[in-house]
Amino acid sequence: MSERKNSTGVSLSRAMTVVVVIMVFTAVIIALFVFNYLFRDSLENAAMTSAGQSVDQVAVTINNYTDDMVEIMDKLYTNSIEDPDSQEELFQNLINIRSDIVMVATYDSHNNNTGIWTNYDIKDMIYTNLSLYSVPAESDDSISISAPHVVSVLENYYPWVVTITRGADETFSNAAKIAFDVRFSTIARYIDEVGIGQHGYCFIMDSSSNIIYHPQQQLINAGLKYENTYLSALPDGSHMIDGVIYTVKTLENSNWKIIGITYLDETVNDRVRAMTLASVLIFIVVVLMTFLFGSLFSYLFTKPAKKLAGAMKEFEDNASGFVFEPIEGFVEVNKLSDSFEHLVKRIQELMEEVKEEETTLRKTELKALQAQINPHFLYNTLDSISWMCEEGKNEEAVAMVNALAKLFRISISRGHEIIPIEKEVQHAECYLQIQKYRYTNHFDYEFDVQESCKEYLCNKITLQPLIENALYHGLNMIDEGHISIRIFEEGEDVIMEVEDNGSGMTEEQVKELFINDGTDHHGIGVKNVNDRIKIYFGEKYGITVRSELDEGTCVVIRIPKVTEERKYEK
Amino acid sequence: MRSKREVSPLHVVLCIILLAVSIVAVFMVLGKSRRENPLLRTTNRKSFIVVIGKSDTSAFWQSVASGANAAAAEYNLDMNFVAPVHEESYEDQNDMIRAAINGRARAIVFSAIDYNGNADAINEAIEAGIPVIIIDSDVNSDRVSCRIMTDNYLAGRMAGEQAVHNNEGELTVGIINYDINSMNGQERERGFCDAVNESGRVAGIYTVNCLSTEESAYEETTALLNEHPEINTIAALNELMSLGSGYAVRDLELADSVDIYAFDSNVISVGMLETGEIDGLIVQNPYAMGYLSVEAAYNLINGRELSSENIDTTTTYVSESNMYDPSIQRLIFRFEG
Repeated sequence: MSERKNSTGVSLSRAMTVVVVIMVFTAVIIALFVFNYLFRDSLENAAMTSAGQSVDQVAVTINNYTDDMVEIMDKLYTNSIEDPDSQEELFQNLINIRSDIVMVATYDSHNNNTGIWTNYDIKDMIYTNLSLYSVPAESDDSISISAPHVVSVLENYYPWVVTITRGADETFSNAAKIAFDVRFSTIARYIDEVGIGQHGYCFIMDSSSNIIYHPQQQLINAGLKYENTYLSALPDGSHMIDGVIYTVKTLENSNWKIIGITYLDETVNDRVRAMTLASVLIFIVVVLMTFLFGSLFSYLFTKPAKKLAGAMKEFEDNASGFVFEPIEGFVEVNKLSDSFEHLVKRIQELMEEVKEEETTLRKTELKALQAQINPHFLYNTLDSISWMCEEGKNEEAVAMVNALAKLFRISISRGHEIIPIEKEVQHAECYLQIQKYRYTNHFDYEFDVQESCKEYLCNKITLQPLIENALYHGLNMIDEGHISIRIFEEGEDVIMEVEDNGSGMTEEQVKELFINDGTDHHGIGVKNVNDRIKIYFGEKYGITVRSELDEGTCVVIRIPKVTEERKYEK
Repeated sequence: MRSKREVSPLHVVLCIILLAVSIVAVFMVLGKSRRENPLLRTTNRKSFIVVIGKSDTSAFWQSVASGANAAAAEYNLDMNFVAPVHEESYEDQNDMIRAAINGRARAIVFSAIDYNGNADAINEAIEAGIPVIIIDSDVNSDRVSCRIMTDNYLAGRMAGEQAVHNNEGELTVGIINYDINSMNGQERERGFCDAVNESGRVAGIYTVNCLSTEESAYEETTALLNEHPEINTIAALNELMSLGSGYAVRDLELADSVDIYAFDSNVISVGMLETGEIDGLIVQNPYAMGYLSVEAAYNLINGRELSSENIDTTTTYVSESNMYDPSIQRLIFRFEG
């Protein structure tokens, strides 16, 4: 019994915990992967696009700027050819208007300096002209842009410039080339302003891997920062190398390349790491919450359910003494508890009822037995026997004694309440025999018993009280009394009838039969028999009485076909 | 059998505590990742640091300040560059140190005018829990966190070796030094003297210590050259000394006969390279000095290990022949952004 109770089951709260943990774990893992994948992908694309756009923008701006310069140069050039006298004035005006042009210089076809225009003091003696080094030797009408350098011809002033040179196929005033020294800071500003992503930036490198300009130019100059030299070898476009996006764009008019650098890994990995960490923590939170809810569930459901189970076990062990205390929990648990309470009450009521019935049965049985050993009956019978003996009617006396003995034997039946109908018929016969001797020829009787009915069981002392009733109340006044006893099957039931042709009864008298327990008169009465049948076989069985005044009475007993004693019958 | 599976109050309380801890952890993680995001870094209060230089007029110190600024911007520090008006007033520097202590600076970057005179104030700062980073010129304290400077002795030697290399004859040396208490000047002098003495061609060494101004250097150089016309090699040990002696040589028209080896550079001394008054410049890396010192301050404030307690910044020898090399151009001509 106890093994069944302790069988390995899974508690609801534990099952719930496991399910939730697995679900959340799976969800978190999937979310992480999806997030990682999608996020990385979209971020990569976005970063690539934005890097490309930024770098393109810088390239366009710088191109516009150089185009602007070239346009100015073209104008100067054409004007100088058409009107050489205005050249001086034009150049001077230009440097006055455009503060980003530090110096305008002209060179002849042998690269000799033929003129310098600037708003700054020129050195007394020019030792080196770095701008000249930047001027290409050939003099065609192409445009060239030099690497940044300082202007070395000014007194105590060394601004960083790039030299933009335009060659000429036609000379004017000894000049074959015009060179502008344009402040590099103008171009540098475009570069400085560009930010790509969080830490991204862009810088200019020439095709031979020299850094032309870097937003952290001073750090590069001071040797504190380096850029990879292989970058200039990359073709135009965006390249992902080790989590860094390098975007390369070559300028139209020069060998400069704008290189944009975006640190993708940093951004993505940081976010993915934060996301992962957050997910893990969320997972832990959910697990803990699951445990908490599990506890709550356990408190509201599992625990009451266990209590209920315990109560049931207790009830099983001690049904009558059990007192049920309602268990609080979920509605379902409460319902269960209520039902169980109801069940307990009902069972206890039934048990009480059974107990009472048992007691009643014993009492009625005892009464029936007592009635059998009715002193009057015994005196009269013994008196009759004694009289027979005096008369010398020995044979009759012997039969009488035998009948009496048989009557008592069957009455007692070793304590059984239920006896075969055959025995009950014998019992009734014995009684009738005795009474017949006592009231000689006063009445007669007949038995009509179906053979098949004899094996069925019935309460003992069933027929005798009814016969006694018939004798004393029915046949008392008449001489030709007749009692017939019939026993036959009717469907699933057995019918026993005791019919007399006596005075009959009114309906009131019939009703009285079932109320009066007969103790005031001779026998134990119809009620006793009826009660015992009903207790034993159930409410649908028992006695019915048909009676008509001056015609007779027929008492009908209905019992089921029973061949075995019930279990509780001792 | 099931009793141990039952939920004890302890179990529940433990769960709740863990839950609370986890939630706090979530917020901390999110907060941390936000803090580490440089774009949002400005929401935090900036740490305040002070850089105390020797001067704020020379190109050298402007470059130091510029490097310090760059690092302060990058590491989001509130940096204040201060320097005394006169390059001799170590007491002013001490006042600045004390002001920094009172102003609750998180770190001090310092260049000592006086090796011993600044020591007490520096120790006070260190006792107040402020880490000190020495740049350019050392102070007499063994408790500073880090030293970032040129190896001044080697820089002096470099100048001396160039002097010996460029002059095959007898050397008569004039040394134009500044404050005798300044450690870096003394180291440079020692290095220069050692290098020329090793040549065995030294006829004499005459040292003058002037105020750290161009005018003082000019006067002292003129006086020295007048007193010792045999001097053919001059070592000018800082930027202002180089200008003063350069102008003196120019005005005495001794550019051809006197070689000047000078420290640091500015546009004028570079011009003098071309015009011949100055023959060689020992160019330090002031930008790196400023940048690295502030970077070190940032690391110290944030409790990070420094890679080294002594960082040696580079020195470059610049002469007329290499001054327009692209790499030298970048070094000596400041880029105005």
